[in-house]
Amino acid sequence: MSRLLSLKFRFFTFVSITMLAYVHGYNLNNSYLAPLSMVDEPLTFTAFFEYLTANGLLRFRIPLLFLISGYLFAYNDQRPYGITIRKRFKTLVVPYLLWSALALLFTFLLQQVPFTAEIVAGSNLDQLGDNRSYTEIGWAGLIERWILAPIDYPLWFILALFFYNLIYPFIKWALAKAPYIWLPSTFLVWLSLIQFWMIDGSGLFFFSLGIWLQKNNFSLEKKPSWLSVGVFFILFIGICVIKTFMAFELDPDLFSSRVMIALLFKIAVLCGLLSIWYGSDDIVKWAMNRNWFHKLSGYAFFIFAAHVPLLPYTMHFAMKYFSFLPYYRLTLYLVVPGLMVLFCIFAGSLLKQYLPKLYLLLTGGRGF
Amino acid sequence: MVLKNRVTIFQNSLLDLLHMRKTACLILCLNCFQLLIAQQEGYGFLRLGSEDGLGMASNVVYSIYQDQRGFMWVGSANGLQRFDGNRFINYGTSKPGTDDLPMADLAQIIPGKEHELWLLFSTRNAVGFFNTQKLKYTNIPIQTTRSIPARSSMRLHKDSRGNMYLHLLKYGLLKYNPEKKAFVDDTEMRFPKGWISGHFFYEDTIKNQFWFPCTDSGIAIYDIASKQMFTRRNNPLKIPLLNETIFNKGISEIYIDKQRRYWIFNWAGKHIRRCFDYSGKQLPDTAGINSNPQYEETRYFFETRNGILWLYGNNSLYSYNKRLNRFIYYKSTFGNTLSVQYESVYQMMEDKEGNIWVATDNGLYMTGEHSGSADLGNYLFSEEKKGIEITDMIELRNGERWLSTWGGGVISMKKNLKSYTNKVYDHMPPMDEESRIQYTQTWSLYQHTDGKVWIGCQAGKYMIYDTALRKTFFLEAKELEKSTIRFITGDSKGNIWLSTQQGHIAKYDGKKFTVTKKFGTIVRKILVDNEGLLWVATFDQGLYCLSPDGTKILRHYTSGSSENALFQTGGNDIDQLNDSTLVFAAGAMNFINKKTGKVRWFTIEDGLPGNSVLRIRKDDKGNLWMITKNGLCRYNPNNNRVTVYSRKDGIMIANLTTEADLKGNDGSIMFGGANGFIFFHPSTFTNKVNPPDVAITDFKLLNTFIPVDSLLSLPAVNLKAYQNTFSIYFSALSYMQRDKLTYYYKMEGIDKDWIKADRIAQVNYAHIQPGNYTFKAFCEDNDGNRSGNIISLNIYIKPPFWRTGWFLSMLLTILVLISYGMHRLRLNKFIAVEKIRNRVSRDLHDDMGSTLSTINILSSMAKARLDDRLKTGEYLNKISDNSQRMMEAMDDIVWSIKPANDNMQKTVARMREFATNVLEAKNIELEFRVTEPVYDVKLDMEARKDFFLIFKEAVNNAAKYSKCSKASIAIYIENKKLYLSVSDNGIGFNPELADSGNGLGNIRKRADALHGSLQIISGPDEGTVVKLTIPVS
Repeated sequence: MSRLLSLKFRFFTFVSITMLAYVHGYNLNNSYLAPLSMVDEPLTFTAFFEYLTANGLLRFRIPLLFLISGYLFAYNDQRPYGITIRKRFKTLVVPYLLWSALALLFTFLLQQVPFTAEIVAGSNLDQLGDNRSYTEIGWAGLIERWILAPIDYPLWFILALFFYNLIYPFIKWALAKAPYIWLPSTFLVWLSLIQFWMIDGSGLFFFSLGIWLQKNNFSLEKKPSWLSVGVFFILFIGICVIKTFMAFELDPDLFSSRVMIALLFKIAVLCGLLSIWYGSDDIVKWAMNRNWFHKLSGYAFFIFAAHVPLLPYTMHFAMKYFSFLPYYRLTLYLVVPGLMVLFCIFAGSLLKQYLPKLYLLLTGGRGF
Repeated sequence: MVLKNRVTIFQNSLLDLLHMRKTACLILCLNCFQLLIAQQEGYGFLRLGSEDGLGMASNVVYSIYQDQRGFMWVGSANGLQRFDGNRFINYGTSKPGTDDLPMADLAQIIPGKEHELWLLFSTRNAVGFFNTQKLKYTNIPIQTTRSIPARSSMRLHKDSRGNMYLHLLKYGLLKYNPEKKAFVDDTEMRFPKGWISGHFFYEDTIKNQFWFPCTDSGIAIYDIASKQMFTRRNNPLKIPLLNETIFNKGISEIYIDKQRRYWIFNWAGKHIRRCFDYSGKQLPDTAGINSNPQYEETRYFFETRNGILWLYGNNSLYSYNKRLNRFIYYKSTFGNTLSVQYESVYQMMEDKEGNIWVATDNGLYMTGEHSGSADLGNYLFSEEKKGIEITDMIELRNGERWLSTWGGGVISMKKNLKSYTNKVYDHMPPMDEESRIQYTQTWSLYQHTDGKVWIGCQAGKYMIYDTALRKTFFLEAKELEKSTIRFITGDSKGNIWLSTQQGHIAKYDGKKFTVTKKFGTIVRKILVDNEGLLWVATFDQGLYCLSPDGTKILRHYTSGSSENALFQTGGNDIDQLNDSTLVFAAGAMNFINKKTGKVRWFTIEDGLPGNSVLRIRKDDKGNLWMITKNGLCRYNPNNNRVTVYSRKDGIMIANLTTEADLKGNDGSIMFGGANGFIFFHPSTFTNKVNPPDVAITDFKLLNTFIPVDSLLSLPAVNLKAYQNTFSIYFSALSYMQRDKLTYYYKMEGIDKDWIKADRIAQVNYAHIQPGNYTFKAFCEDNDGNRSGNIISLNIYIKPPFWRTGWFLSMLLTILVLISYGMHRLRLNKFIAVEKIRNRVSRDLHDDMGSTLSTINILSSMAKARLDDRLKTGEYLNKISDNSQRMMEAMDDIVWSIKPANDNMQKTVARMREFATNVLEAKNIELEFRVTEPVYDVKLDMEARKDFFLIFKEAVNNAAKYSKCSKASIAIYIENKKLYLSVSDNGIGFNPELADSGNGLGNIRKRADALHGSLQIISGPDEGTVVKLTIPVS
């Protein structure tokens, strides 16, 4: 792997995770975290901007992260399967369980003070829809939330990734034997939004694609001659804008509306993925040549794991107490996630400096 | 609001007595008349019928129910309707189909779950429920285990736990099974064999029992706790009434009222209605309900929230009067305008405002529920045409109210309005008959500060009744020239002022009468204002303002075109609104500013019910109460609003009370006139609670009404771009105040301020621009009380697709793509030109530059070796060769970039020319073949040049080295490939040993640039074939 490609992976991993903060910092009336949601509120600049950003422009990041993961996993698959899985358990499952437990503990502590308990309840974060105090929910509910439905909900990505790692031999075999069946099949799964309980079906295609590209020595650095970065970038922005307007304007009760939005979303993701990846070489080189950026990018996993539930709680608090500000929704949307990212970096750096072993455990060895 | 009417009917007409000739008889009869007054009390009803234009489908109304929002649901002979106070809306169809809501006799409406009504269609023997939100009717099957007897009828019952029962007469009870969605025969209430209940059983929610009247068996009680059916044979709780043997036959109705009285009716020869306490002791509370000689069936019981018990049925309508301690029977008398006309009363209910609704076979009646209140009454002397004309009213200091009448003398009433025999005519001195009659023709009343009552009579006569001596003085004022005394009043100095039919204004100062003015027309009223000025209302000369001594005319107002003209000249009444304003009833209200003298009219346009104000009286709160030809109304000077009071407010005979008025010391007001008077306390009409919230009652899109309940359940009404014309109907669902509320609405997005709605409470919007709107409305009563909440309805009109954001952004995206594409094309062209320039410069540099350098060197060498002619010649030959090659190269460069050569015809022609020139010079025979499709091949400039140079190299090689005698050149197309073949019959060579110097190397490179393949086939003495294949489209 060339140095440029390695830097590009590191750059996009960090950038994608920073974007995650802006997706989870969404603060409209309803939490439209699903990119296919229709909007049931008046079209205002704030609503439009937040929907466009969180449910459009930043949505190529997860496919990109899966693609990078697949590529890197295939690149390093020389080790025996058992050793690899043991290593992945340490780098994925252990951090998953630790961060999920920390999020539960943090939430539980907040629930003990009436002021913060109100913020926890108002944030409505519980994946099972039961926002009662954990003392009322009991141990069974807590364990369920620890393992299956973490309050730190972005951890689903870790779980999905570990599952893909587990079935890597099968994916590799399928790609070797019948790539033209496996890839279109997983592409259709991604297109059709099928979810297999906790296992995210939409990531399988990009994870598989990453493996396939690596195994076929496909150069991720050289832009294919047919690809026009400009055209794809225009399509990416344009379709995201069109889709955002449609989310406000189409009839939410019509099946055709949802199909149209889903289709545009998928096209936008593909266009965004290609245009951003191939059009960002200069930015990547510039950024990764900066020492400070290079250092910051080492905290990508820490930001990923730590920003939830911290960010939703902070946003709820800010929304409640800073509503006097002009354009407070938009202002808070732009400011709070950024501050949270900086806070996570600061906390991560302190932990890394003073408790390096714990940091190592929490991040699965990433960022050193 | 109190709506109780006390209808007093004087049973003898006084006028008939006035025709009696003999005075003695007259006086006797007057006394007799006063003794014969009897009162009849009851409720006054407002009727709603199909002829009212409100859309009521039928006058045969069986059932009525008010839903949570306040809508009245009405079941009639023509099915289900909804009433919002303004109009009835039909539901249902006459088409066949079990799940179509039938437009048939709807006997019962019972509330079910939210937005659900249970409906019983009696004549169709069908039961179903109707979802008012989805407007969906679902028929409920009736599953019996045995056949239903003939002449069985149905009745729905809902118990306190929400269970629905269907009672089939002569069959028994069925219970609704939600799982089977049917009425099934599996109720837990089992009767002893042979016992069959009638329809009218009762659930005792206090003791958790059902009381059944089992027609020919007795009373059966189902006890929910023990799940037992008690009868006289099984009476473990020893319920005394079960042992009553009188109920063993013909028991038909059972009801337990709030006082725990047991009303049990049975047929024993006739319908006997009895009332018991729990111990079985018969109570005397049935007074009034067993005395009607007519046939009647009293089947139903109804209790108001205030505990007034009503009984009703066929030819039967009774209410219990607590004061009289008996039932009052409402006889259906057609022609009686004050009561209810019916043959059958099917249902009664009380709405949220306390109005009582009566469903009859002659329409829907409404009345208020305020038993015992004496705050409002309509008093009629007779409903006959001939009656008593009240001319004036006063309240004496002791609270008695006296009425002067034309021909009927003076009627006196106690504080409670009960008449009594006064002593006015007791000591009438002997006089002629005409005078006696004139003294009974009384026109005006006034009680002086000394307590004496002045009574103005016909022909200048007047009486003074001394209340202390209880004696009347019969007098005549000669100064009045036998003119009838129309009005008497007093001023603050103790003077008494009189006005007459002929226009005298006379003052009595305690000693004598002085006529201060004579207008020559009827003077209807004199008002002494707070400054002592006299305001004189005349019949046809307008209004005069006189000095306090009555001698000078200070102002005179009449109609006309002057600046301060009255609405009309003739006036009836005048009152003082405040220190500076008088109100004169001359057609419309004429407000007269005493200081400026200016007159302001208040007319129909301002809210008056008619420009015909006849009486005006100010109440204690400063409101003006007026009688117009269109009834009673109130003017509130604080908000300039007029409120009309009519039948549904309990004001029945306002149009008869145009002649006299009175404000009592207790604040009550009376208006009197022909044959009767009305009495009320203004506070009766004061709203003590805020009006209810406005409800959206209908939404009409273009010409179609949309089910409003389902619309309101949505967060917004979403309309398409073309659905931008609609009407919104709203109402406060207050049936009592419905025409006294002022509605305000605003469509946010269109209106900036609140708009006052007209009485229809409907607003139309046409061709609204796409966008988000919010319709808001509230109402206000005439006292300024607002409804608690402002209701809102969100409306979103979608823009047409070409005005949507997504379409415009799509256009923008396409535009950007096109712009970007054009930019790329321009850029590509620029890059192509750059490439040509680079190539030309490179070619010039490579070919020309090096060759010119060689020529330069050779010429220098030749110059240096001029003495060696051989060498010089050799150099000159080389210079010649180089310059020749340079010329050819230059020719090739120029040829290749020349646009005119951009086709295969030119290329082939040049190839042919070149081959001919080269090979002919060597005496080599040339065969040149080209197929026609070759000319259609398009090669770009670079490809054309490479193609030509490969050919040139091959031909040159053949000419220079092959020593051939014949060369063949073929250009053709096969399988989308362009072939060039140059072959000779020369000496050939071994390609593997051949020097791959510039010649062969160059043509291979050029073949690669053309994405083609080059094949060289040769061998010693075998000739040579050079074959180029390039793909073409």
